[in-house]
Amino acid sequence: MCIKKPWQFSVLWLTLSALVSATAYADEFTKADLDRWQAEYLTVVKQGREVFTDPNLGKNGVVCAQCHPNGANTHPETYPKFQQQLGKVVPLWEMINWCIRNPLEGQELSADDPKMIALQAYITHERRGVNLAPGKH
Amino acid sequence: MKSRLIGLCIFTMVTLGGSALAEPLGLPPVPIPKDNPQTQDKIKLGEKLFHDTRFSSTGKVSCATCHDKDKAFTDSPLPVSEGINKLKGTRNAPTVLNSAYLHTQFWDGREPDLEGQSAQPFINPIEMGLTSHDPILKIVRTDPEYVTAFDKVFGKSGEQITMKEVTQAIASFERTVLAGNSSFDHYQYGPDKNAMSEAAIRGLKVFTGQGRCVSCHTISQTHALFTNNRFHNLGIGFERIQQNVTELAIAFAKAKDEGTDVDVAVLTNKNISELGRFAVSGEWRDMGAFKTPTLRNIVLTSPYMHDGSLQTLQDVVEFYNNGGRVNGFQSGGIRPLNLSEQQQTDLISFMMSLTSISK
Amino acid sequence: MSQMNRRDFLKGAGVLMAGTVLPFSTIELAFANSRQNFTFAYISDSHIQHIKGNQFVRNWDRGLIRAVAETNLMAPKPDFVMYGGDLAQLAKKSEIDHGLELLSALRHKVHYVMGEHDYYLDLGEYWESRLGPQYYSFDHKGVHFVVLNSILTDDDWTYNRWSSGEERMNVMAGLDNPNGSPFMVGAKQRTWLKDDLAKVAKDTPVIVFSHSPLQKIYKGWNFWTEDAEQVQALLKPFKKVTVFYGHVHQVQYNQIGNISFHAVMATAWPWPYPQTYAQAPSYLPKLTVKMNRADPFFERDATGWQFIDINSGNAAMHYSLADNASRTVAFNTETGRPEDIKYPDESLPPQNHY
Repeated sequence: MCIKKPWQFSVLWLTLSALVSATAYADEFTKADLDRWQAEYLTVVKQGREVFTDPNLGKNGVVCAQCHPNGANTHPETYPKFQQQLGKVVPLWEMINWCIRNPLEGQELSADDPKMIALQAYITHERRGVNLAPGKH
Repeated sequence: MKSRLIGLCIFTMVTLGGSALAEPLGLPPVPIPKDNPQTQDKIKLGEKLFHDTRFSSTGKVSCATCHDKDKAFTDSPLPVSEGINKLKGTRNAPTVLNSAYLHTQFWDGREPDLEGQSAQPFINPIEMGLTSHDPILKIVRTDPEYVTAFDKVFGKSGEQITMKEVTQAIASFERTVLAGNSSFDHYQYGPDKNAMSEAAIRGLKVFTGQGRCVSCHTISQTHALFTNNRFHNLGIGFERIQQNVTELAIAFAKAKDEGTDVDVAVLTNKNISELGRFAVSGEWRDMGAFKTPTLRNIVLTSPYMHDGSLQTLQDVVEFYNNGGRVNGFQSGGIRPLNLSEQQQTDLISFMMSLTSISK
Repeated sequence: MSQMNRRDFLKGAGVLMAGTVLPFSTIELAFANSRQNFTFAYISDSHIQHIKGNQFVRNWDRGLIRAVAETNLMAPKPDFVMYGGDLAQLAKKSEIDHGLELLSALRHKVHYVMGEHDYYLDLGEYWESRLGPQYYSFDHKGVHFVVLNSILTDDDWTYNRWSSGEERMNVMAGLDNPNGSPFMVGAKQRTWLKDDLAKVAKDTPVIVFSHSPLQKIYKGWNFWTEDAEQVQALLKPFKKVTVFYGHVHQVQYNQIGNISFHAVMATAWPWPYPQTYAQAPSYLPKLTVKMNRADPFFERDATGWQFIDINSGNAAMHYSLADNASRTVAFNTETGRPEDIKYPDESLPPQNHY
């Protein structure tokens, strides 16, 4: 927008002010923001727990929690790593799909499927605080 | 035509010599035991021994009889091998290709290395039929060509030449018998995304996905040996002994205690053969289990399985798709796969892409 | 490529080790009181899971089938077989029936221990109708055997919270379900046990079969018996007591005073060690030598069954594992506790991937 008249300048100034009035700069956020974002994350973690215990994720009624109580022995902190069952180095979600297809006899999920994102959130949440060890068997 | 090409390829690899040759694309370095280093002359000597039919009771059978370089080092299309006087054994001849990478030798792993394996067929009654290794030693100690060769390679002559030197030379030769450099290798490790057909590429996806093949027929990030070196019961041939496996197992354990030779027993008795690795280890977990073979050049080595009972790759894929043949001791990795017709065809296309190509 | 020399190779390959068909030069167990020497098999935690119609989860079916097939190979034959509980997954009639059908191929007599997965749908009604009492005792070759139902819980949780047996069973079926309730033997059974043991001489070996551990290991996964101390106190006066328990789907063993504890493996699937859950503390018996976590491709990895030699009341547990090296955990009379007789094995990579 080319500013030719003073009133246009005021409009421009007001628009810009409105945009920046919530927080002054992109790298600033309030405690309320942090709490809100964490809460949104925890909602997905909760969804993930539901998928993790959903007998309809696969076709045979088996649920992830049967072999992995509280997500134990999933070791999300070790990904990406070489996964024998896939013959290559993979990120966590590909191994989750392996489990859905094999012990659960189900259909694989795409990486951006909300269920897959939720599963990863739950599994990683249950492993919080553990040091990263990518590649570790 | 294809087998001739392979023969040429392998022959080329052999004559180029083992020690300085870089492994074909898709294979890791060949493990060489410290006490048997590779030399050109040793390899040549080993090749000569490998082809010498005098080391049999009829003078007509050598290692190469069942491990023919023009048949990818097997005796395809025989389901089970035939030794002296066409005596039939119980098992299909495994290929020598890439046997250097295996952790054990024979379908049941009863020998730990190539040196150990090469000594056995000479004295098996339905293979070379010798009653001892003495006739072999007599020949290598007196035949002028061998005398020169053993002196050159080992600095030994006369009584100093033992089966240790003979088997070391044979093993040395076998360590040069390699198969890599297939269109799969070029696709995967080249990497050349045009090296495999569309069907084979889809087949690779089945192999590492719904087909569940890759867990036993391994592919790694930088090479592929297509075997996990472990023993698994698929159900092939097991129905033969399923009804009275307890009695058979107890009887065989007793016989072994009393001195029965496992190598003779498993190749001459069809029932004992089906005990598989159990006959060697005595462990329940090995009941009816056989070693995972490589899949390289698999198109050339039909028929398939330890008893050669599956004629074509189609038969093999159908067998696995059905979950093998169910029995109480079946490997936990085997289960029905629910592959579509297309997936099965693609899987076969993939396996055909594992054939070594000459440059 | 194996660097083993031939001698080492033959040593490993040819020798019949524990967990195999016993050789005909049968192991002579020379102990003071040979009357108390015998072997029994233990199969447990099959979790037969119904899908629909006559379809069951194939993986768990195969586990039980394998254990039965291998148990039938035992020579000499075991005196009897214990079934350690959790035959079913949701205590459905179809699951119990299918499991018993698979067990019927066993060539030996079977005694049963109840698990929570057999119980919480109908509080053991169908189980009892087919298999008899939920707790009982018997004597065999100079040893007193007690079978407890140790997966009960308090009355309020059992009776007052659920709209149906299915709902109650589904909650108890989730190992890590926070709405579950801790296991216990309970006052009624403890009274029965006290009376039962009163008739037993103090130097008679006592063996207790229980589904829950009769110890407190990790409450979050109900590796727990709430009244463990009280039960242990009832067993304290006896010279030699061994407890066998299922439920945990992993190798565990322990010694508390005069009582040896042995966990049995599941035929169905393995469980992680409680300490692998990063968010809560647990108390796995320190003595336990662990196993690497399983490869889920091999459905029998870290699963199996076991047979137990009793020698003068001391137990040697031989784990028969379809995809792993066998393990034997035997009572060491010098140290006075069960010990793994082979691990850690210096010649093998360490088992610390769990």
